[in-house]
Amino acid sequence: MTRKVMAVASGGGHWLELCRIAPAFDGFEVAYVSVHPNYADQVAGHRFYAVRDVSRRDLWGLAVLVPQLVRIILRERPDVVITTGSFPALFALMLAKLLLRTRTIWIDSIANVETLSSSGSLARHVADVHLTQWPGLARHSGPAYWGAVL
Amino acid sequence: MILLTIGTMLPFDRLVRAIDRWAGDHGDREVFAQIGDKGQYRPIHMRWAQLLGPQEFAGLVDRCELLIAHAGTGSFFLAAERMRPIVLFPRRASLGEHNTDHQVSTARWLLQKPGVYVAMAEDELPGAIAKALSHRSDVAARVPPFAPEAFIGRLREALLG
Repeated sequence: MTRKVMAVASGGGHWLELCRIAPAFDGFEVAYVSVHPNYADQVAGHRFYAVRDVSRRDLWGLAVLVPQLVRIILRERPDVVITTGSFPALFALMLAKLLLRTRTIWIDSIANVETLSSSGSLARHVADVHLTQWPGLARHSGPAYWGAVL
Repeated sequence: MILLTIGTMLPFDRLVRAIDRWAGDHGDREVFAQIGDKGQYRPIHMRWAQLLGPQEFAGLVDRCELLIAHAGTGSFFLAAERMRPIVLFPRRASLGEHNTDHQVSTARWLLQKPGVYVAMAEDELPGAIAKALSHRSDVAARVPPFAPEAFIGRLREALLG
């Protein structure tokens, strides 16, 4: 059976970083999740869902985001969820783990040069694979460094 | 044409205002700005839009001679994949422009790349723009649109795992 991947990223650099690793999904069934409906054109041929963008400053947005993600996860039933951040993607990982015990991969954005993002630090609790893109930020206890999108 | 973007997620009036002032001082230069939908300031000396679609914006990057942007990696990738020089101006947490100062580190890192210029403060912008415009040929090689194969390969194994 084809491997089902849910690939999640918020806007801007997070989304472009996800697009840069898209060759890793070749031959898999992919559902993309991001925050701008017009990103759909860039992944034509795959299912695409736009969800509410939520920052730590806008916690009310979670009341919209969480049900959206639950619906997508239960419809897609992915084998694995992979993300390049940020805050909304942390909830995608948490919910997929909670609802379906899905395998989860967090790649902290390459923008986090000197410290892991705060979402990236929290992601260690829900990510089966927890990665930084900077060798200097890798630790024995995680995150690991496997390379970078550039 | 010189193209300004501040990203799509947060306002950045300090940069929009500074580039609008620069455009006013350089009337012979065409400047277009994507200013987002969360800021207050409306440019006077340059044409602008709030948010363009990603394809439309990429088309503008193709046509521009210089991109000016907040120090977000998305803006860098857009410029680098199209061999356009870029001036980066990092957001500051102390001014409420982002939740951390990571854009300062991003800018310092990307400064080592060909075709990347950085202004850490408003008064460094005119100099950085002048330098970028006069060294346009410095953008040596196109950055490929995908991550290195070794990284892709390990991710693929993890996805199958």
